[in-house]
Amino acid sequence: MTGIGPGMGGPDLIIAHLYPDLLRTYGDRGNLITLVRRAEWRGFSVRVVGVTRDERIPARANLVLIGGGSDRLQAIVGPDLVARRPELEELTAHDAVIFGICGGYQLLGDFYVAADGRSMPGLGMLDITTGPGKGRIIGRVRAQATLYGDTFECVGFENHGGRTLLRTSSATPLASVPHGQGNNGADGTEGAVQGNVVGTYLHGPVLPATPAFADALLRRALAPRTKGAPLEPLNDRLEEEAHALARTLRR
Amino acid sequence: MTTSNGSETVFQSVAVDNVSMPAAHSPPPHEGFNHEDGTGAGVATPGGATARARLRDAAAAAAALAAGRLSRTMRAGGGSSLPGVLVESLSPGFIARRAARLADGVVAVSGTNGKTTTASMIRVILRQEGLSTVGNESGANLKRGIATALVDARSNATVGVFEVDEAALVSLMPALRPRLVVLTNMFRDQLDRFGEVERVAELLRGACERLPDDGYVIANVDDPLLWHTVEGFRRIGFGVRRPSVSPTSGAGSPGIDPGAEPTPCPRCGAPLNYEERTIGHLGVVRCTRCSMRSATPDYEARVLIRDGLRSIVLDVAGVPLTLSTGGLHNAYNAAAAIAAAGVLGISPTRSVTALESFRPRFGRAEELQANGRPVWLALMKNPAAAAALIPEIAEDPRVGAVVVSVNDLVADGRDISWIWDVDFERLATAGVPLIPSGTRAPDVAVRLKYAGADPLPASRAPADAIRAATDACPPGKQAVVMATYTAMLDIRRAFLGDRAVRLLDVRS
Ligand SMILES: [Zn+2]
Repeated sequence: MTGIGPGMGGPDLIIAHLYPDLLRTYGDRGNLITLVRRAEWRGFSVRVVGVTRDERIPARANLVLIGGGSDRLQAIVGPDLVARRPELEELTAHDAVIFGICGGYQLLGDFYVAADGRSMPGLGMLDITTGPGKGRIIGRVRAQATLYGDTFECVGFENHGGRTLLRTSSATPLASVPHGQGNNGADGTEGAVQGNVVGTYLHGPVLPATPAFADALLRRALAPRTKGAPLEPLNDRLEEEAHALARTLRR
Repeated sequence: MTTSNGSETVFQSVAVDNVSMPAAHSPPPHEGFNHEDGTGAGVATPGGATARARLRDAAAAAAALAAGRLSRTMRAGGGSSLPGVLVESLSPGFIARRAARLADGVVAVSGTNGKTTTASMIRVILRQEGLSTVGNESGANLKRGIATALVDARSNATVGVFEVDEAALVSLMPALRPRLVVLTNMFRDQLDRFGEVERVAELLRGACERLPDDGYVIANVDDPLLWHTVEGFRRIGFGVRRPSVSPTSGAGSPGIDPGAEPTPCPRCGAPLNYEERTIGHLGVVRCTRCSMRSATPDYEARVLIRDGLRSIVLDVAGVPLTLSTGGLHNAYNAAAAIAAAGVLGISPTRSVTALESFRPRFGRAEELQANGRPVWLALMKNPAAAAALIPEIAEDPRVGAVVVSVNDLVADGRDISWIWDVDFERLATAGVPLIPSGTRAPDVAVRLKYAGADPLPASRAPADAIRAATDACPPGKQAVVMATYTAMLDIRRAFLGDRAVRLLDVRS
């Protein structure tokens, strides 16, 4: 433990993994594993709670993880997730971080129009909207990100049909994409950040080969406990090798 | 098979002797399996090809064969399917006409995993019954691979057993007109190719709709979405039951059921409860909301004894079967083959006798000698295959080191994110040295680190990784290599017999 006083009982970090039984494509589980290990290696105790339909998110959760899934699975979880807005707002009011990937990112927005034209309401916690586009956006991505004062390069894999637009200046892009299509293939942005809500299209999974991204999320999620103090550095030699390799892969 | 000569396969393709005298064999029309040429060539008539088309087929086959030989001699890439490419362009409709000449019909095997092994097992059973088979034994399972197999077919072949790519099956149904379609399972394979498992289900359903009226679908009842997909067709189910279920979740691994696919009820979308889980999402289920529940298999393989990757003892319809290739996935393959044979009128007792002599091939848990040590090779083509392998490897006390070799070429699937869905945590608890390898060795190293292991330095070249593994392996123990498809090809290339081993010895 990095100079932090004894906890008030209970783990230092509670991660709620939403719909682990349904939203888990493209190795999204790797993001969870990465967050857990990187907190544990620094001496924080971590509890992971899987939360599926009709189950409550722990009231003391510090980090909520929402993965992606097929249109069919997204349609199944959509209504359940949207009904959680009060629950999630309560959490962010207590400084919890919400992190959505691909489908989870889209559902954090105002609404989502599927390929068949059906419109689904989102959580409205990110000022973004997603509509259909021509063809899927598929390929490897390198993105220059800024998150909570940290800047880093993300490497990942994008695969989505939806086109996402940031609607107001309340939501800022997570990254710019010199190599890749990002949110919509048009404005060079990728992902969105609005207070403690973070969304990205990047699979890969993105966090294992971009440890700085994982650490920025962890530092924010652990802030109630650490007062936002910098996290102890880790030996990231293997992660850096994987990152360096990912930079060389063709799209 | 257990040989150090990696280029050999169990069933050598047979040189063709009939292509110059095509009219000599004109099998009698077989009821229910004659058909019009579905490819639009317009020369075939119900009951068989016209003499003109047959002559053209023969000439095309001869030309294609010659080109194939030339290509192999010149070591040109892609030689193995070249005859198929040529023959279909020289003589459109070739597959349909040649398949129609197979008097005992065609069996098509499709699904994500186990196609090659299942098709191979079916051929072994049919051959024991004295039938002459033709099939794409190389595993080339697109149209050209099947055309190549028909070019190479023995003149007296009466039955075709083809493995067919899931996406290619629909379009090949009119030409092949299979009496049986055997569907092994639907795992997430290469998402960058198919998109979603639901899409695969649609493709397979479309294929089943093209079955002849007296055709059957043989499908895995333990795969809830697959069994649901074939509802309404004449279907025969197979499944695997384990008497004692050991907990399979990885110690210390966050999250839930590693390796399992998300499986909502295919009928109503509610979560499924598993009474028993075998591999990934395969198992015996009951819906938490509606009346949907797993069917009782018509052909059930009950696991009696598991012995890692080496062997597995099953009870099939009261008959014990010792398979010389271990793992629950092979229990499924055997159950599928026995079910298919059963529908063709061959008793499980007869099938079991044939399968006792079955040997694995091409990286499907075979043994090589490297640096004077036995090395097991196991193909890890997707999360499901890896999920099936890891418990076998982690529980096997004979295993002394493991190479995890992941390539990201098109044939492997360019997206390797699935390594995070696989329970490497379980492998890490085995406590044996782990060596990352393949074109994505650095990603494997990170995965193993986060699984709680302390991997040895990554060796991208498989030969180096295997050397590291045999060096790290305690005496009396075996090294195991888990490799994706092209990584397996690299390994076999590096170990072509003694010469390659010697080459390896002088390298460092
Ligand atoms: Zn149901």
